[in-house]
Amino acid sequence: MSPLENISEKLGTTEPWVEKGGVHWLPLGAMNVRELATAMNGLHARFVTITAYQLPKEEGFRLEYHWDLDGQLLGFSFPLADKSIESIYDLCEAVDWIEREIHEGFGLDFLGREYEPLLLRQGETPGVNLRDAVAASNAVAASKEKK
Amino acid sequence: MSYKIPMGPYHPALEEPYKLDLICEGETVCDSKLRIGFNFRGIEHLAETRNYIQVVALMERVCGICSNIHTLTLCQAMEGLTGLTPPPRAKYIRVIMAELERLHSHVLWAGIAAKLMGFKTMFMTCFEIREKVMDVLCAISGNRVNYAMNRIGGVNRDISDPQAILKMVEALELEMAHTVIPIFTTSRTAISRCANIGVLTTEKAVSCGVVGPTARASGLPQDLRRAAPYAAYAEMEFDVPVQPAGDVTARLLVRALEIMESCKILRQALAKLPPGEFHTPDDKFPFITGTATSRVEAPRGEVMYSVSWREGSRTPSRVHVRTPTFANMPAIHWMVMGARLADTPLIQASIDPCYSCTDR
Repeated sequence: MSPLENISEKLGTTEPWVEKGGVHWLPLGAMNVRELATAMNGLHARFVTITAYQLPKEEGFRLEYHWDLDGQLLGFSFPLADKSIESIYDLCEAVDWIEREIHEGFGLDFLGREYEPLLLRQGETPGVNLRDAVAASNAVAASKEKK
Repeated sequence: MSYKIPMGPYHPALEEPYKLDLICEGETVCDSKLRIGFNFRGIEHLAETRNYIQVVALMERVCGICSNIHTLTLCQAMEGLTGLTPPPRAKYIRVIMAELERLHSHVLWAGIAAKLMGFKTMFMTCFEIREKVMDVLCAISGNRVNYAMNRIGGVNRDISDPQAILKMVEALELEMAHTVIPIFTTSRTAISRCANIGVLTTEKAVSCGVVGPTARASGLPQDLRRAAPYAAYAEMEFDVPVQPAGDVTARLLVRALEIMESCKILRQALAKLPPGEFHTPDDKFPFITGTATSRVEAPRGEVMYSVSWREGSRTPSRVHVRTPTFANMPAIHWMVMGARLADTPLIQASIDPCYSCTDR
């Protein structure tokens, strides 16, 4: 059994792995992120990062979780219906800073944990979407310039 | 009774923009809190406003030490979205640049570590050698810091006389083998200041997800050049130094041994540099819609770029950078627990932190 097949078995899925853009992706169906983190711990995979994507228009956000297993980069995608997802900080210490950074940069909430600010914007309230904040301040500057 | 010592940002014992609040009992650290973000630049967001040429120049500025690594990782990801494959010569030149950068970074770190040990003559020696590494980088690229070597589909400049570069590398190797490495590994000053301090156990290294020399000095044999080879690393013979102790001495030894391994790789790459083009002929190429990810073993550990593009767009829709210091720095909390206050500057320096990368 290959390492990837072994992971599928541990995760209890028969979905095939797809290698795309340098990552081995596995569709997870109904599995939630905490079940995934528990399975990754069991496999001794190394947590790499979470990448947040703000989708166009009103489509919301997508989070991509990455783990490394013996040099293979594994990817798992979670679309967010609302602006929150369960935190895995209590299961995986290494996610601490990236969960905090995403909270501060995209305004997403990782439920079940407390935040200390990383101070991406010193003195400002954490937990706002920086992209929206920058777009709003640019719009104000542009309207002032027009006047 | 415990008391708090706020170190940083911009503290005399911590000349970097981050904050380490140390809770001490007497001279012993019993807790700590880290804060970053004092120089947050929003580069990921800025990258979404740059075209495929501008974004390479922008991401080179993420880090002032391993600038080449950032463009290499970015270009490899963008090559995944354009279908371009760099010619073999370009892959070898990428290896040469990456290893010279590792030398430059490790020697710079050795100098700073020497200064923090109170071994200032060694600081001067290291920086003198670092200048010579930068001379080699300048001879290849024309630049000392931001080399502008990588492009999508290859590199911007050829190495026309590999033998001349090889001679410079051999001279460097000799100097490092005869001065830096023996002094760091045998001097009483280095040993007494580094042994058994700032210990990160293998278990903690795993749970914190640390990377690079910090992980290898805690007994984890992870190195992307070996585990997931990129550029021409699959054709190079080298060892991955691992030390089990997890203390500052182990981090020092891993980097010292890596300096010698880098010289070994450089000699092979320069001797076997294949003939041919050093970039693909196309200057214009379409991007496909999708996300591509690339990882590279930077001097401080794994760098990962995820780049998303929509077909027909002039700019990326997302560039995410995971830098090694971002992964390594939270482990400082565990390294300083139980340490003497006076050792904390050296302990935090022992991961070779880069705040430019962290506050990208």
